[in-house]
Amino acid sequence: MTHLLEVRDLHTRFQTQAGPVRPVDGVSFDLRAGGTLGVVGESGSGKTMTALSILRLLPAGAGRIESGQIQFAGRELSTLPEREMRALRGKHIAMVFQEPMTSLNPVYSVARQIGEVLWLHEGMNKRAARARSIELLRVVGISDPERRVDAYPHELSGGMRQRVMIAMAIACSPQLLIADEPTTALDVTIQAQILELLARLRRELGMAVLLITHDLGVVAEFAEEVLVMYAGTVVERAPASALFAAPQHPYTQGLLASAPARQAGKRRLATIAGMVPDLAHLPGGCRFRERCVRAVARCSELEPPLLDSGEGRKVACFVAMAELTGRPL
Amino acid sequence: MSDVQPLLEIKNVTTQFVQRRGMFARENRVLRAVDDVSLHVGASETLGLVGESGCGKSTLGRTVLRLIDPSAGQIKFEGRDIVPLTQRQLRPLRSRMQIIFQDPYGSLNPRMSVRATLLEAMRVHGGQRTAAEERSALLDLLERVGLRPEALERYPHEFSGGQRQRVGIARALSVRPRFIVADEPVSALDLSIQAQIVNLLMDLQADLGVSYLFIAHDLKLVEHVSQRVAVMYLGRIVELMPRERLEHSLHPYTKALRSAVPEIDPAKRKLRVLLTGEPPSPLNPPTGCAFHPRCAIAQKGLCEVSRPELRELAPGHFVACHLAG
Repeated sequence: MTHLLEVRDLHTRFQTQAGPVRPVDGVSFDLRAGGTLGVVGESGSGKTMTALSILRLLPAGAGRIESGQIQFAGRELSTLPEREMRALRGKHIAMVFQEPMTSLNPVYSVARQIGEVLWLHEGMNKRAARARSIELLRVVGISDPERRVDAYPHELSGGMRQRVMIAMAIACSPQLLIADEPTTALDVTIQAQILELLARLRRELGMAVLLITHDLGVVAEFAEEVLVMYAGTVVERAPASALFAAPQHPYTQGLLASAPARQAGKRRLATIAGMVPDLAHLPGGCRFRERCVRAVARCSELEPPLLDSGEGRKVACFVAMAELTGRPL
Repeated sequence: MSDVQPLLEIKNVTTQFVQRRGMFARENRVLRAVDDVSLHVGASETLGLVGESGCGKSTLGRTVLRLIDPSAGQIKFEGRDIVPLTQRQLRPLRSRMQIIFQDPYGSLNPRMSVRATLLEAMRVHGGQRTAAEERSALLDLLERVGLRPEALERYPHEFSGGQRQRVGIARALSVRPRFIVADEPVSALDLSIQAQIVNLLMDLQADLGVSYLFIAHDLKLVEHVSQRVAVMYLGRIVELMPRERLEHSLHPYTKALRSAVPEIDPAKRKLRVLLTGEPPSPLNPPTGCAFHPRCAIAQKGLCEVSRPELRELAPGHFVACHLAG
């Protein structure tokens, strides 16, 4: 099976006051055409930086792709000239971010903002773009689109603004949609509406979705496959149902156990001790070992590689691999 | 619990904000953020308060502490109505009622060390202490919230989000409160840290007997920490129940809220009641039941006409819906 997106050993480097850090440090994954991949992790795990690397939108001056490949539909993105990248962004790869208010231009009407995408990538004239914008607003479930198309972002609610962002994202029927915490700023009833909308559009347009979120429930309901990230690396990858039924990495296990829903009737929540390590002062060996209840001596000597653990799953943990394969550590 | 006097009891509390429009303010608009709410919180009890943004839950939390003044109603704390009190008369009570905010970064003075922050609170509300007594009180506080003694000399920016929330909790505790409003205390934190802070809050309750009004948008979290849960919609309590009853919630809004929460466990996944539309503006609330425009079972001629009051449909389980039960 050919993949739409293949990321291989991606490293990004940021210059900080504390010295250089790598928010993405050896990330590999792939995504098939029309597939859904959820990327979960806590703040500082590198999930957003991975997305920004694919889009080549890393903050200018501060960060850059250091090494690795990003193959999208047979093209290598990491070295693509900016001009070609611009033609690709918005047309073949679209994105939706957490805070639609900051991604929409406050001084332009909805018609103008969606219209710009259509004019830029599809060469539509003003009249055609307006008609298509109204059509797109209808597709994303905005009522009274003929009137709303002339609204400005501040006149819309948070849920409606996110719908407008989605309308812009799907304007050119992209092959890949990168959605970074698309529902995090929304209320749960609106979140349910937006996730439903994204799932429907994915089916109808056959686009692949890379969904980045900190919410395990969102990923469980939306994605076929899940990538768990920790401190810049992938620690586990598995089909969603398998991951949530039987997590293999101690970090995934800890995360799932600390969700209140899993412990009905139990008063104390399970916790993961300590906190995410500072990227400028990573411990040697496994990045999770200082918080890990199952760490052994080997974990401080070597960084565990992400290895096949059977049934289409991968895990980066010496202890888990030893258990799963029956081989000694 | 009903035979003993609750620690906090509020009756028919309304909080409104007046929006002035235009220079001559002819068109003042009234926003009723909290609309005729009655609730109580018992000693060592946690009352959870859930609702979506703009429903008035934070305003209610601030109103019961009189950080915002109500426009009507009674707020009895330890049996005494605090609504008529002046700010000066309130001051001695302030040490017994505290608040923890969502964003400890925004609520801690960035130029004050943890020591200065905690001492300020202790000195304003506490009596005279010797330097040695102060030091031991400070160290006790830090230990209680799980911070190391070195934290005393640090400034807010030197901490992670979870640690900062521990500092915020230490500050609230420094005056030995009996009642704490916890307003989204963990929603800015990562999941693995959320669990640590939730456990801390629950340990403090077990050890010190504090009561919480626990405000959050996360229904599962509220269900976990609370003995009773109140659900708020557009300024009003639409359902109030013991936490075990949440599974048998009766209000269509509570049901929709519960079904909208994404579920990790496929076996527990509920049939989703997808609400249409969005919460209406409190500046222009719908007639009758405020939820009727989004309600799947609303009855014409009833729900948009008359406003449902809370009715007790099971012991301790109150629902404001004409059609429930």
